[in-house]
Amino acid sequence: MTEQKNTARAHRRNDILLIVLLLLVAGAGILYLFVFRDSGNVVKVTVDGKLYGTYSLSEDRVEDIHSGEDGHNRLIIKDGRAYMESASCSDGICVAHHPIFRDGESIVCLPNKVVATVIIDGDTDSPDIVA
Amino acid sequence: MMIMKQKIYSVAIVLCLLFGVVLSSCTPQKQRNKYSTYSMDYFDTVTTIVGYENTQEEFDAVANEILSQLREYHQLYTIYHRFDGIENLCNVNELVDGAHHTVTVDRRIIDMLLYAKEMYTLTGGTVNIAMGSVLSLWHDYRSVGMDNPANASLPPMDKLITASEHTDISMMIIDEENCTVTLTDPDMKLDVGAIAKGYATEMVAQYLEARGVSGYVLNVGGNIRAIGAKPDGSSWAVGIENPQGEDYLATVEVKDMSVVTSGSYQRYYYVDGKAYHHIIHPETLMPAEGFVSVSVICKNSGFGDAISTALFCMSLEDGLALVESIPEIEAMWMTEDSVKTESSGWSEYVKK
Repeated sequence: MTEQKNTARAHRRNDILLIVLLLLVAGAGILYLFVFRDSGNVVKVTVDGKLYGTYSLSEDRVEDIHSGEDGHNRLIIKDGRAYMESASCSDGICVAHHPIFRDGESIVCLPNKVVATVIIDGDTDSPDIVA
Repeated sequence: MMIMKQKIYSVAIVLCLLFGVVLSSCTPQKQRNKYSTYSMDYFDTVTTIVGYENTQEEFDAVANEILSQLREYHQLYTIYHRFDGIENLCNVNELVDGAHHTVTVDRRIIDMLLYAKEMYTLTGGTVNIAMGSVLSLWHDYRSVGMDNPANASLPPMDKLITASEHTDISMMIIDEENCTVTLTDPDMKLDVGAIAKGYATEMVAQYLEARGVSGYVLNVGGNIRAIGAKPDGSSWAVGIENPQGEDYLATVEVKDMSVVTSGSYQRYYYVDGKAYHHIIHPETLMPAEGFVSVSVICKNSGFGDAISTALFCMSLEDGLALVESIPEIEAMWMTEDSVKTESSGWSEYVKK
């Protein structure tokens, strides 16, 4: 009898251990998903249609983008927003553009064929397209 | 041992369910994925294509079809480039021995020019594709001023006035049967900038609709055209840029419709520190004053392109009267001093 009780208790302890373990795994999974989601907040830069670089919005940085023979745009990422600080282009429209931070927002430099687009994972509030 | 196994199975099932709940709460359920691409090759602007498909390959096939169609329209409607084997508007504008010749063109040019004539009448002459001689002066001075900002200057008014004497659209003779165009005033030129990209966008959209394509939205330099709805049947949310700040002027929701914006911030150059934009008023021959942005919601993107340009050049009162007189179009105006006005039905489209 006592032996049976002991095995039953052992079983129950193992069950609890198993459940705790599995919950831990689940918790780690959820945590991973959130971390993964956060790292999805990026600015994607393309030059003439080709991927130039992808930069996290959560880290401040200065990125000099070179295009064509002597084209350049200086992209600044600061406090989760991206903007063009300077550019070699003749119209200055990209520099005049407000900082971007919402999903799908982009800054375009037509003369240098540079496009910087914000990608926010799981953002369902931002517009599908902006003009 | 059997009991133990059963328990492991049941816990595993619970865990799977748990993960399932977490995953499904993170990614909304939809069969199709969202893809996008862009091009800077057509109509001197950026074209963005957003669409829902099962695979990247399926999206690429449709996007390539859209871009190749846009390329054809661009090559026909441009007034700046010639292409081998294509008679386009460059050829129509060309002077040979001091006169324009009769040019046989693609049917798509004839149809667009006829549409532009309709828009001329509808807007009381505000949208006039025969303004090419005036607009080319602005184009040339803007190009020089952008390349060399220190020496940027405005086109002289006497030159503009002389040019404006050659903007009579009735001197554009179209022979529909033979697909020919003739400009009978040697000093006149066509400039279809206010209408061609919207018209081309509409033509491409109608072509896709006829093929049963749905779940796409195009943006050809401010001409947004939705083809169908999103796969779940919901509308597309279209953000309208605020040139004076980072919040959108509005976010509107549409299906199967166009949202077209004309703005002074899209193309301009500086002379003595003052910005001169590209929408030239047909009477003052100077950049139209008063608004920074005018948006139009309507079915046809070509119509929206023409009307948004016209509204940009009209007073708010006249513009409102025009919009209210046309069924199924709405508009929103933003003045230089940040006053926003909407037509009576605009708010029905605004995202709640």
